[in-house]
Amino acid sequence: MIYQILREAWISVSAYKMRSFLTMLGIVIGVAAVVLMVAAGQTVQNEITKTFDSMGTNLIIVAPAETVSGGVRGGRARPSVTFDDVEALKTLPDVETASYVINTAAQAVFGANNYGVSIYGTTPEYLQVGNWEIESGMAFSDKDLKSGKPYAIIGQTVVDELFGLQNPLGKTLRLRGKPFTVIGTLKAKGDNLMGSDQDNIVMMPATTVRQRLKGSHRPQYADIAFIKVTTEDKMESVSNRAEFLLRQRHRLKESAPSDFSLHLMTEMVEKVRQIGFILSVLLAAIASISLVVGSIGIMNMMLVSVTERTREIGTRKALGAPNKWIMLQFLAEAILISFIGSFFGMVLGVVLSQIGGAIYEIQVPISIWSVIISASVAIVVGILSGMMPARKAMKLDPIEALRYQ
Amino acid sequence: MTDIVIRIEDLCKTYFMEGGTKQDVLKHIQFQIKKNEFVAIMGHSGSGKSTLMNILGCLDRPTSGHYYLEGQDIAKASDAELARIRGKRIGFVFQNFNLMMKRTLADNVSLPLMYQGVGQNERYQKAVELLEKVGLKGYEDRLPTQISGGMQQRVAIARSLINNPAIIFADEPTGNLDTRTSVEIMNLFKELNSQGITIVLVTHEEDIADFAKRLIVIMDGQISYDGQREKYKS
Repeated sequence: MIYQILREAWISVSAYKMRSFLTMLGIVIGVAAVVLMVAAGQTVQNEITKTFDSMGTNLIIVAPAETVSGGVRGGRARPSVTFDDVEALKTLPDVETASYVINTAAQAVFGANNYGVSIYGTTPEYLQVGNWEIESGMAFSDKDLKSGKPYAIIGQTVVDELFGLQNPLGKTLRLRGKPFTVIGTLKAKGDNLMGSDQDNIVMMPATTVRQRLKGSHRPQYADIAFIKVTTEDKMESVSNRAEFLLRQRHRLKESAPSDFSLHLMTEMVEKVRQIGFILSVLLAAIASISLVVGSIGIMNMMLVSVTERTREIGTRKALGAPNKWIMLQFLAEAILISFIGSFFGMVLGVVLSQIGGAIYEIQVPISIWSVIISASVAIVVGILSGMMPARKAMKLDPIEALRYQ
Repeated sequence: MTDIVIRIEDLCKTYFMEGGTKQDVLKHIQFQIKKNEFVAIMGHSGSGKSTLMNILGCLDRPTSGHYYLEGQDIAKASDAELARIRGKRIGFVFQNFNLMMKRTLADNVSLPLMYQGVGQNERYQKAVELLEKVGLKGYEDRLPTQISGGMQQRVAIARSLINNPAIIFADEPTGNLDTRTSVEIMNLFKELNSQGITIVLVTHEEDIADFAKRLIVIMDGQISYDGQREKYKS
């Protein structure tokens, strides 16, 4: 019986090709719009995740505490975490490694070229912490850190700006007039979330920075420290232990506020992901307005069809068609139209999103959601828009319907 | 007893109008139709013959009285039951053929069987047989738009036969046909009748009624004549 109903529906739908096509078009556009918007939202989420991954995953950032005076939050207090604190943090359970950074900036000079760069004075572990990889050459060692060797590892932007097509390895660049030997280059990462270029970096041993570029009367203090945790679910416990350890090492009284602050990267990632998710839902919701319009189109077409085919319905009833049959046949026509429309809408949406991805050179995911959305839309829209016309057809009095001209 | 196809007893049909007025369209009608009869029902428009036809065809229910079709009382049947009875025991031939223009002749002829769950192949076979019977051999895959009005009515007759009905109701079957084709169609009915099929024909044309053996004349909702066709002179 289902086969028969579908066959009847198919013959009716295909009998009025132009009309069925135009009706389908509404659903095609609606579903394509939703699929496109979902793809756009997912792409944004993916890009965000990728950027976070490039900044390092499972990180706890140890920053100086915010200053509070008279209830007004001020800027960061002076650095409070020492190199030894970081060494101690490394010994905590579930900590993969830890590192620290002394930040400064300077104009880098090589030959006739010069370029403003960020300088990271750090430890060899920072590569691991920040998900950096060596592209060529090598990293500096613990020995280099201890002896404060004038070695530099440079990011791709610095390579391009200072050295162009030359091989930078072994060359000497100058920062504030002092020479540093390039011993390695870093793989490119691209911009971070704030849009600043992560590859504009010169990395060197922290001791070298202290001795040659950024002296301090408290040379053992780091600007910022990072703890890399083994797995994501250990973030919370490591954070608590780190806080306890640092308070102990800083000899803080129980009532005193911490002179440092801990930031969990996972929490930040989660927040930004949430924004991305809300964005995709919002986009999809706006796009689904066109679906509503499309389904009204189907309903309209089906109502016209029922009126037009009143005599056919009367004849069918006279020839023994049960009311249920008549209703199901018209319902099946509506579902068929929305089903075919949804299918092509899905295909169109996926193709367009891939073309868009190709144009902007971004990888756009083809998600299972497109299929789920289009399939459920097909059925829901079909039933919703077919119900009223189908009931109208069912309720026709065969005598009246046969007399209809 | 078994050869009585239709038995009408004291059948009334009243329409209740808006505003409380009522109109008695059929008043205490009573008759029987036996197997293999060929009955013409005549009457002026407004006489109630269409209403009677609708009730006989199980499209409508009487207000009171009884209608036995092959012994089963139809008067109190539900919509679903009426649909089933129409599909299995009654054949319809309409004035304007009522074929589905987008379907092949075979599909049209076999349509009633679809509602009884008969498979595609079997339906097609039967449709081909019946088309041959009404003189349309080889036409099964054509569309109604490709054939003449007379042929379309033959298709409709084939359709009315597909479920081996107890009775065929033909409502002004020649109303849309020219004289020559009308005679052809009526001869086909006559032939079917001679093969044992019971036919009830509604018409207002004397010449068409001439093909029937028995005549029932309805006037103002009552039977004014019921007897042999030849003996009736208007």
